[in-house]
Amino acid sequence: MSEAGSIAAGARPRSRSRAVLASLRRNAGFGLALVLTVVLLLLAIAGPSLWHLGPLDMDFGAPLAAPSFAHPMGTDSNGRDVFARFLAGARISLAVGAAVVVTGLIVGGGIGIAAGIGGRVLDTVLMRIVDALAAFPPLILAMAITVGLGVGLTTAAFGIMLSCVPFFARLMRADILRIRALPFIEASVAVGVGRWRIVGRHLLPHTAPTMLVQCASVFGYAILTLAGLGFIGLGAQIPEPEWGAMITDGLQYALTGQWWLALFPGFGVLAAVVAANLLADHAQAVLGVRGRER
Amino acid sequence: MSRFLIGRLGASLVSLFGASLVAFLILRLSPGDPARLFLGPFAGREAVDALRVELGLDGSLASQYLLYIANFLRGDWGFSYSTGQPVATLIARRFPATLELGLFAFLLAFVAAVALALVAAYRRGPTDAGARAVSFFAMGVPPFWFGLVLLLVFFEALGWLPGPDGRLSLRTIPPPAVTGFVTVDALLAGDGAAFRDALAHLILPGVTLALMPFSFLFRLLRANLIDIAREPFITVARSRGLTRWWAFVRHALPNAFLPTLTASGLLFGQLLAGSVLVERVFVWPGVGALVTDGVLKQDFSVVQAFILLSAVIYVLCNLAVDLIAGLIDPRVAGAAR
Repeated sequence: MSEAGSIAAGARPRSRSRAVLASLRRNAGFGLALVLTVVLLLLAIAGPSLWHLGPLDMDFGAPLAAPSFAHPMGTDSNGRDVFARFLAGARISLAVGAAVVVTGLIVGGGIGIAAGIGGRVLDTVLMRIVDALAAFPPLILAMAITVGLGVGLTTAAFGIMLSCVPFFARLMRADILRIRALPFIEASVAVGVGRWRIVGRHLLPHTAPTMLVQCASVFGYAILTLAGLGFIGLGAQIPEPEWGAMITDGLQYALTGQWWLALFPGFGVLAAVVAANLLADHAQAVLGVRGRER
Repeated sequence: MSRFLIGRLGASLVSLFGASLVAFLILRLSPGDPARLFLGPFAGREAVDALRVELGLDGSLASQYLLYIANFLRGDWGFSYSTGQPVATLIARRFPATLELGLFAFLLAFVAAVALALVAAYRRGPTDAGARAVSFFAMGVPPFWFGLVLLLVFFEALGWLPGPDGRLSLRTIPPPAVTGFVTVDALLAGDGAAFRDALAHLILPGVTLALMPFSFLFRLLRANLIDIAREPFITVARSRGLTRWWAFVRHALPNAFLPTLTASGLLFGQLLAGSVLVERVFVWPGVGALVTDGVLKQDFSVVQAFILLSAVIYVLCNLAVDLIAGLIDPRVAGAAR
């Protein structure tokens, strides 16, 4: 008993750095998310310029070479360095994830705001459109749009963006309606604050925590779905170094001994999506946000 | 209750109408003339024009939409450009395989989620942390990639489970088809060996497909259980002498189920989307593999039919669980008015 007590006393944070360490130990998930985020960002931003091989450089002397010092993740069937492609893939995935989050927030959030502050007719019309989009499983909607607009990375990103519009729109509308009913809005109206000023200064800032959590969550969704579309053959096309497309490319070799082609890109997707979901979860707990979609 | 029923039915119909519009617009946006695609590049201009008239492609957009819906409802989903077979026949033939895998995966996900959520919410601490780590992994891992990893470990390295060769090994004689579910058909035929083979083939794709619904159900159920365990009625149950575990199982769990039921509709509908990602890895002869094949062969008629079909199934699944929730809990039906 006294031993346990002394351990507890020893663990009590005495300095700032110890306090940080202690809180990280309590939030191991958050710590892991931070590490993964920083590593992935570094790999995506600095990686391609530091590594001496490009994602499309072919070495015909070494097709399907196993991982080694020259090629840490091996090479593919055309002798392209998988590590170089992994780095370029990190850049693609994170860029698409960020683009989807920003445009999805603007479009979906915009719809949600309009539905929340507009009249009943506008609300009904907008929400029926959102319902139509939400009537598809999200992956299928993204698939459908890619089929309609033509296969490729850009159309896949657009499809993913549209498929997450319902998440943002419904959440934003619900949040606006919730905040609108709070007494301080009534007070603002009573003292004569203008309609747009209330929206800009009082409603929108209070939706920030909900939206922040949703953004982190959608970021992970976007990266996972992009890889899925690439895997089906609807997203990026080989030789484009996209993680999902790389997994498809490696599928035929995986069970004949060349496992490295498909294995490494999968770790990239896993790391990015887990980091995003952990961040969303932590933000949700810290900010006291109630719900999120997906 | 009847008001609730009519309201939910109406909302589902409106969603389906919107979804069909979206699917139709996507179809119209698609590059290429369906008549030309079907007849091929060497067909004469007259033949293509004649087929366009026959397919109703010369009418107004509104009449084309009505024709599109009428054809879909009649089960006339067009022809596959690559095989020349009716799309409806192709999908119907492969649907049992997808349904069998989907049901199996859902069962796995549900049992695992309930068991793990119960233990995690009851014990908290490291058990809880471990269970949550599993759920984060399940939520973040690309299913097609995880399926491949499972194959590498359990087929290639350990040799415990069969490889990616569909629903049965080549050596196994398929049981006579009655239900279309190989496991059930094998049992009906009293063929133990075929049943074991079919079950062994279900395990890896089933686990892979189960990841997504598992992580959702687990997170939902765990959070609900932890909330409900703090409710006064649990304290009352404990004060009557119930053990903490029994209060959890007997009183907290049933009350935590309702939101899970509503989520189950969404998740079950999404299994169809998951099958598109998973079936190809295991060469599972289902609808998902049909769709990925269609994409590879640029045979988009199959994909387009699948898109609207999946919306219909998705909306119907949601409607079904909403109605069941309304039946179980009158508050749901009351609140929806």
